[in-house]
Amino acid sequence: MGSKPCFIDKLVVPGDVVLDLSSMTNQTIKLGGGLQQDHDAVTVVKAGILRFSKPSKYWIESSHKRYIPTVGDAVLGIVVDKRADSFYVDIKGPMMAFLPVLAFEGGNRRNIPKFEVGTLIYTRIVKANPGINPELSCMDASGKAAEFGPLKDGYMFESSTGLSRMLLSSPTCPVLEGLGKKLAFEIAVGLNGRVWVNAEHKSSIILAANAIMNSESLTPVQQKIMVERLLDRVN
Amino acid sequence: MEYVNPEGLRLDGRRPMEMRQLRAEIGVVSRADGSASFEMGNTKVIAAVYGPREVQNRSQQMNDQALVRCEYSMANFSTGDRRRKTKGDRRSTEISLVIRQTMEACILTHLMPRSQIDIYVQVLQADGGTRSACINAATLALADAGIPMRDLVTSCSAGYLNSTPLLDLNYLEDSAGGADVTVGILPKLDKVTLLQMDAKLPMDIFENVMQLAVEGCKAVESHIREILLENAQTLVIRQGYGS
Amino acid sequence: MEQRLGNTWRMTVNEKKFIESALESELRVDGRRPFDYRALTIKFGREDGSSEVQLGQTHIMSFVTSQLVQPYRDRPNEGTLSVFTEFSPMADPSFEAGRPSESAVELGRIIDRGLRESRAVDTESLCVVAGKWVWSIRIDLHILDNGGNLVDAANIAALAALLTFRRPECTLGGDDGQEVTLHPPEVREPLPLIVHHLPIAVTFAFIGDEHMVIDPTHHEEAVMGGRMSVTLNANGDVCAIQKAGGHGVMQSVVMQCLRIASVKAGDITSKIKTVVESYKTDRALRMVKRHAPINAVDVNESGGKAKQILEGQKLKSEECSVSQSDDMDVEQGRINKRTDKNRSFTGGPSSWDPYSEGVNTDELKATLASRGSVAVPMNLDNLGDTIRDETKSDEPLSDVNPVSSSTDSAGKEMATSKEKTLQDAVKPKNKRKKKKSSNTAAV
Repeated sequence: MGSKPCFIDKLVVPGDVVLDLSSMTNQTIKLGGGLQQDHDAVTVVKAGILRFSKPSKYWIESSHKRYIPTVGDAVLGIVVDKRADSFYVDIKGPMMAFLPVLAFEGGNRRNIPKFEVGTLIYTRIVKANPGINPELSCMDASGKAAEFGPLKDGYMFESSTGLSRMLLSSPTCPVLEGLGKKLAFEIAVGLNGRVWVNAEHKSSIILAANAIMNSESLTPVQQKIMVERLLDRVN
Repeated sequence: MEYVNPEGLRLDGRRPMEMRQLRAEIGVVSRADGSASFEMGNTKVIAAVYGPREVQNRSQQMNDQALVRCEYSMANFSTGDRRRKTKGDRRSTEISLVIRQTMEACILTHLMPRSQIDIYVQVLQADGGTRSACINAATLALADAGIPMRDLVTSCSAGYLNSTPLLDLNYLEDSAGGADVTVGILPKLDKVTLLQMDAKLPMDIFENVMQLAVEGCKAVESHIREILLENAQTLVIRQGYGS
Repeated sequence: MEQRLGNTWRMTVNEKKFIESALESELRVDGRRPFDYRALTIKFGREDGSSEVQLGQTHIMSFVTSQLVQPYRDRPNEGTLSVFTEFSPMADPSFEAGRPSESAVELGRIIDRGLRESRAVDTESLCVVAGKWVWSIRIDLHILDNGGNLVDAANIAALAALLTFRRPECTLGGDDGQEVTLHPPEVREPLPLIVHHLPIAVTFAFIGDEHMVIDPTHHEEAVMGGRMSVTLNANGDVCAIQKAGGHGVMQSVVMQCLRIASVKAGDITSKIKTVVESYKTDRALRMVKRHAPINAVDVNESGGKAKQILEGQKLKSEECSVSQSDDMDVEQGRINKRTDKNRSFTGGPSSWDPYSEGVNTDELKATLASRGSVAVPMNLDNLGDTIRDETKSDEPLSDVNPVSSSTDSAGKEMATSKEKTLQDAVKPKNKRKKKKSSNTAAV
């Protein structure tokens, strides 16, 4: 068949058959987002780039404005409403996510946090099944707060999931590296495409936020140039 | 056409800076929580306020402030040629919006979260300056309903015809095609919240006309204040009899 | 209820606070200063009277159409102008399909007031038969993307569309002189509207207690306590103001806003004028292309030759050539060369100013452009027998026979002179213009 290698790291569109399982009965593979198995054929359901990681994971990488919740993702959510047992949090997904009031480090009935509507929270998805509102938690797996929780001040902007992944990739992407050399700022990136930036000076926040927003469609070299230019203009 | 004659009098005999007679009455609608009628010369409007009450459409409920709604309508018999107006025409939709936002500027909405305040204003007789009259009536009605307010919003219009700034235009002057400036102010804070203007006017003349309208607003305010005080007085007296 | 929660776009406390606090040091989230506009681009459609405006992320399309209708009873000799807005649900999650929302109505009314009450468009010239037929001009504004400050963007879009709009020419005939004949655009060049001045809307948002910004984005609109849209023209005349409630501001602040706005209005006016001008030259150029194939000349060749001819002509017809203005937009660089060439065609006796109050000078020029275009390929055919008889070519044009001029001349007057045609065409056209206007007056 030989179709398997030629699709990897290539652009695929919905309907493309990327794998033929009949020719690879001897191995187990894992399918990630954007791929669907139909008998022996694995077809694409989302436009994007087919990624493969050894030994056996396949998924489609693409950039979206909306976000499909996946367990384990760290996201930035906005508190929309509060109820007796949980907060309603908007995570740009198809459904409101629930954040139980007890899902905080050392949380119990007596120290329920008070978040006003519109609070920005850095949180983690713990349950995500289609048809059920996803559930969030402000603790890591071991029950520690571990940076999760409400974010104060700073500026939050929305971009795409692709940009978030780029910002989180290692080695550090050129924008953040370039900015980091000259500016001191804090950043929180949610995989749902929200980015929060904070710094001592307002101008640094604006600079960093705009540099990051502009960097999405640029190559690493372009990013570097853009950041340098921006910094030159300011200093 | 001559809107100001050589003696300096207007078509209805007023001086350029003279307002029409103001008349106001509080509590004209018995079922409403607050109501008032307001007359500026031949323009006559009536306003009724309901609320604060439970929000009707739950999705519009706001957790940090009250929802203010306003509906402006003109009675079919209010204008010279009697015609059936569709309720949601563009003009009244806009005026409703303008009145709502003007009243919102003075209502302390954050004191009444999750509630709704409805303001209904109706023009019974239209002779120019209806939106000013509606705002003045709404202020009185809100005060009557006991809704917490920052200040008494008052409104007045002014125009510019025959190179003379004129205060409080009537229908004839309004439809003459000259400039028409409607101003709504918060008199104690001395701030302009509503400002609408059309037709062409050089900037310095506009400043004078706006200044004139603001003076008009202040005059309306002192009148409204008097009416309210009078009303409060009668209420006190009535209470005195009751006890 | 839960679903409704999910449909609205919402803002975090952080953003609100940041926008306000950044303004304290005169900074805005997108890096602008408080009184800067976002990038403005104006594009035109292929048809007359359509424009597309982008102001930052805000994207608005505007179409102008016309129709013969009965006038209003109280204004029997004036055409009408109406503005319609459509907030497409695709533009913003809060827009809903169906009845226009309050904000859609308000937007339409602001634009409407600015254009109509200040008499920017000459409505009297839109009258065909007093009390019977007038032109009704309709402006449709489609909001494609809401990035904030719809008022200014929509106003610019409406103006750009109005300036490039052309209505079909019509004449009166019949026994009683009341019968209206419409001339299709192929027969007679459609007429542009007479626009006396350009009322430009400039919107201020009042944020916090004392900050104000110009051209708010939708983030800033979500935070602002009040808004004021000031419509004025480049002469500093205030045409309309809308401040519908909201935060109160001092009178002095209002006047300050007006002064700032008049500067901004000047900038935007010149921007609109430049793009409209380049559209017009571009349009004239299209006419050249449209007519070329009729004569079945090899296109490439004709292009080359035409250029030669034109260059020759440019030199000779210096006295009537317009000042080759240097204010052409940079973007237009690509077609600059062609524009130049085109201008030498169109060079009328008057200066190239579509905004002069005079009657239809630009129409005159545009027709000239098309005429010129007809002439060029013809020349190609008869390059040999050049200046045959100028008088002959002159007559039918100077005749009071404007109807068929362009098509006819294409048909009959194949043999026209090289350089003379264009110049000659200028003069009779001019005369004809006057004659016609006096004619209509008589009717």
